Amino acid sequence: MKQLKTRTLFVLFFILALILGMVVLLVFYVLNGASWASYSANRHVYSNGSISSGSIADRNGVILYDCENDAYNDDYEIRVSTVHAIGDRNGSISVGAKSVFADELVGFSLVFGTNGTGNQVNLTLDAQLNKVAYEAMDGRDGVVALYNYETGDLLCMLSTPAFDPDDEDEIAAINAGDESYDGAYLNRFLSSTYTPGSTFKLVTSAAAIETLSNLDSFTFTCDGSLEYDDGSTVTCPSAHGTVDFETALADSCNGAFATLANEIGGETLQQYAEEAGLLSSLSVSGIPTATGSFSTTVSAVDEGWSGVGQYEDLVNPCAMLTLMGCIASGGEAAAPRLLLSVTGSVGLTTTEATETTSIGWDSSTCQQLKTMMRNNVVSHYGQSQFGDLAVCAKSGTAEVGSGSPHAWFVGFIDDEEYPYAFVVVVENGGWGSSVAGSVAAAVLETACS
Amino acid sequence: MSVSDVIQTILQGLQTMGRGIASLFASLSGNEALMSLLTSLLGGLFHYALPVFGVLVVVRCGRSLFQSRMEQETWGSLVLTDGTRLPLNHWENLVGRSRRCDVILSYGTVSRNHAALIRDSKGNWLLYALNSKNGVTLNGTTIFQTAALKARDIISFGGVDACFLPSTAEEERQQAQRRSKPGKAFSPGITLFLLSLFQGMLCFQLWNAVDAEYQTTVAGCFGALCALMWAVYLIYRIFRRTGFEIETLAFFLTTLCLTVTASSSPSGLKKQTLCVVLGVALFFALSICLRDLEFVTQIRWPLAVASMALLAFNLLLGERLFGARNWLSIGPISFQPSEFVKIVFILVGATTLDRMFNKKNLLYTLGYSLFCVGCLGLMSDFGTALIFFVALLAITFLRSGDLASVLFLLAAAISGGYLILQYKSYIFARFAVYRHVWEDPSNLGYQQTRTMSAIASGGLFGQGVGDGWLKNIGAANTDLVFGVLAEELGLILAVTAVAVIVLLAIFAVREASIARSSFYVITACSAAMIFVVQTMLNVFGSTDLLPLTGVTLPFVSVGGSSMMSCWALLAFIKASDARQNAGLAVRLPKRRKKNEPEDEPDSWRAATGFFRRGAPFTADDSAETVIRRPEPDDEPTRINRPASASPSPKSSVPTAGESSDDFPDIDFSDETGENTADADDWRSYFLKDDEWEDKP
Repeated sequence: MKQLKTRTLFVLFFILALILGMVVLLVFYVLNGASWASYSANRHVYSNGSISSGSIADRNGVILYDCENDAYNDDYEIRVSTVHAIGDRNGSISVGAKSVFADELVGFSLVFGTNGTGNQVNLTLDAQLNKVAYEAMDGRDGVVALYNYETGDLLCMLSTPAFDPDDEDEIAAINAGDESYDGAYLNRFLSSTYTPGSTFKLVTSAAAIETLSNLDSFTFTCDGSLEYDDGSTVTCPSAHGTVDFETALADSCNGAFATLANEIGGETLQQYAEEAGLLSSLSVSGIPTATGSFSTTVSAVDEGWSGVGQYEDLVNPCAMLTLMGCIASGGEAAAPRLLLSVTGSVGLTTTEATETTSIGWDSSTCQQLKTMMRNNVVSHYGQSQFGDLAVCAKSGTAEVGSGSPHAWFVGFIDDEEYPYAFVVVVENGGWGSSVAGSVAAAVLETACS
Repeated sequence: MSVSDVIQTILQGLQTMGRGIASLFASLSGNEALMSLLTSLLGGLFHYALPVFGVLVVVRCGRSLFQSRMEQETWGSLVLTDGTRLPLNHWENLVGRSRRCDVILSYGTVSRNHAALIRDSKGNWLLYALNSKNGVTLNGTTIFQTAALKARDIISFGGVDACFLPSTAEEERQQAQRRSKPGKAFSPGITLFLLSLFQGMLCFQLWNAVDAEYQTTVAGCFGALCALMWAVYLIYRIFRRTGFEIETLAFFLTTLCLTVTASSSPSGLKKQTLCVVLGVALFFALSICLRDLEFVTQIRWPLAVASMALLAFNLLLGERLFGARNWLSIGPISFQPSEFVKIVFILVGATTLDRMFNKKNLLYTLGYSLFCVGCLGLMSDFGTALIFFVALLAITFLRSGDLASVLFLLAAAISGGYLILQYKSYIFARFAVYRHVWEDPSNLGYQQTRTMSAIASGGLFGQGVGDGWLKNIGAANTDLVFGVLAEELGLILAVTAVAVIVLLAIFAVREASIARSSFYVITACSAAMIFVVQTMLNVFGSTDLLPLTGVTLPFVSVGGSSMMSCWALLAFIKASDARQNAGLAVRLPKRRKKNEPEDEPDSWRAATGFFRRGAPFTADDSAETVIRRPEPDDEPTRINRPASASPSPKSSVPTAGESSDDFPDIDFSDETGENTADADDWRSYFLKDDEWEDKP
């Protein structure tokens, strides 16, 4: 019997395994409970696949979506302009706050599970600013975004075409493949990439500043077309005459920048695009952004085009916005974020911490770029449309396969009171500085008033 | 748990009852608004009171089970020539030199496992000679296999002599009185009362949660469960049994099962309740059977054949349900044969010590086991096959103590399992998704992701009885029942349910040290093993800590066959409960018969003066066996062996006129080199002894 008693340890071993397993299960419950609870099959917090717990508000407490009652904001333009930020009823917009911040909305507690009313998620967005941006876009497709490069708060994030989540006819039209709604479910700011056009010249400039020793004496005479040995050309819309480095950027002279790109070399340009954060994915409050691309090539003309933001260059608007913030603050800025704070059912608010991001460029390079971008506005784009704001910017007119070029306008305000960076893309909008610039001007005016 | 706590608990209970009466009153007065207010108030109160009461019940049972001292029983003793008394603490005692023997004889001539002394449930003792080097003799006769033992027999273990003295009926009675009985520190009645309150609260919650047509069913079934519980308790009290913790724990889990049933499929509640009644009946029947080891050992092989036939029949003709051909339907009744084969499987696997040394017996058991596991495998019921297999591992190890054979079985099973994976792609898919369920939440990870989601949603206190959604998923109330419990009743009660299984299993292991027979140890440990492994496969399978196999959670999963077999398996654990008056599976010593003389040993001895004269043996030749030993004077030494029939102590007592020379002058000089001193020790021992008497 004593022998047998010793052998019962065999059973004890399994009992211990059971106890150990329960401990592991409880540890997993503590660690992963929040994401288990916010799984979309959980009918305590989802109804018909849509989250039914908590609410989403903008930075000023304006309720944009009441999850419990499945109600969007009453204002049509707020609904439309924030639909990508919040998400639609059918879950077609995959990176909306409804799904991305489900954990926060559900408000899982270790003690009560999902018993309770859920949390209010406060976004960094300013609904009014989004509305202004939507009006300024005036029905055109594209992106408008503005963020505070000191706190990281995305005050404005608009992607068009947008739609009214309450309008079933409109949703039916989208689902039926109406061309005017192409990519309506895509948040272009976060999830798409565009040909950057001349805005990419900022990267080429940074590379030139840091790698070319004779940049001060650089001149280029533009007759409207730069011809290569094989007969192919890099063209400019018009002849810029003789330009130095600074005027080449202000004039956005393709010939000059193609020459600079050839001198810098494709490999080095790619390295600077990489350092600028344009070739990697960012995380905006947990949402990964689309990754841009830059190809190196043996063809000199293609290399020239790649230096002026054409060829195979692709940039994500959010990455471009972050780059603007970093240039504005000398190489290191706050990373854009969408989640400001979470207010619990008992009224306690947890504020998210600001994270920083940086580019690999020297702060002196950023300073020089800032000066040149300020010069762009003063000498070419026109300070008048921006009032007193010290706007530093670069326009872009990105040639795309068909239709008018995409109009870009990116930059920031060099002002401690208004530490805002912005990016505007108007698809097939035409001339960068005039088309996209005016949209940016309208948004900046509201943001700084 | 002090008296004040008990009073407090009772007061709480009374308060709750008072509120219940208040709500009843409100409904009678017809005030709808007040009624609904009271209902929601009570509902809220009960929501948080349920885990408190559940934990209280389990903690009381656990403390009662484990705070009791481990009191050894003594069934006799071996007295060595130097007067050392070696108690026989079990029905099966291994004698040898090894430290793992129950009776340790540290002599060079004694083999490690020399012999076994085994008592049957009727009190008859047998001596088993194991393959020792120097042999065993009984009263001078060499024993090759077995021999019946009588009181005062002289057994020589490789030359080490010992006198065998079994406990008398009176000694057993005294022992039974001396040993502490369970139920003193934690009154089982109060625990049961708390459990009744727990049931009442659940019933109240369910009444408000289920459709109106099922309200009376819910009340009826919970009432029936409560009545059954108290009836079992009453039966125990009538038969002076006070150990009720194990039954209370099982009733606690059964309550959870009825709750899940009422919440998920109220139409099946009556059937489930009936199966609880049948299960309890099976528990009693098996408990009674287990009193008589000889009977159980006799019926198990016919049962084995019957179970093999049942499995074979099931395999060939069983209907295909839920992807496994493991159901049998006879008329309106359908059941899972494998659940009942489990019971036989354990009976067949268990063995008494004497058979443990016979390798052939283990081979038969192995053959039977492999047949069962094979049939289950062919039925595609791999979860149950796995449970059988793990039980087989436990049985093999308990019987042989041989880790190598366990590892061999394991290796064989792993290669067999690998072969199965090759041919059964859907099983392979289950393994493929293991630890990756969140990557395929709408297909292979469907059940696991939803279980985890439901668990998290419930928190510690649950969403409330009937307010879950996990129960709507296929097989949720069996395979995902842990998730259903956690979602509706909260993680506290779900974990408590697992804790109950742990308590039962630890108890089975703990009782092994004072168990009477290895049969009880093996059956209890195998049953515990099945409970533990099923719990692991169920709970961890549904939460992706193990691959999902679709196994029931003991007592809690909804299902008639499973409920009945769990209660039957519980009888095995209960039978190992060797505490005094613990349960019906263990006989109490017979009460003294009316006409039986009151054999007060001391007065009897004083009356005869026999012991003082140092002559414990009679000269009644008709009732004794004469053992001749070579004496220097060639005088025969006679050792008295009173007839086992029933000589009353007095009748076997020699008359005063007998001379002390009749005392057997046993010569122990052959191994100790001493003689008279030893004889004196013998004498002094008998003088010290209270009394001894032959078993009736």
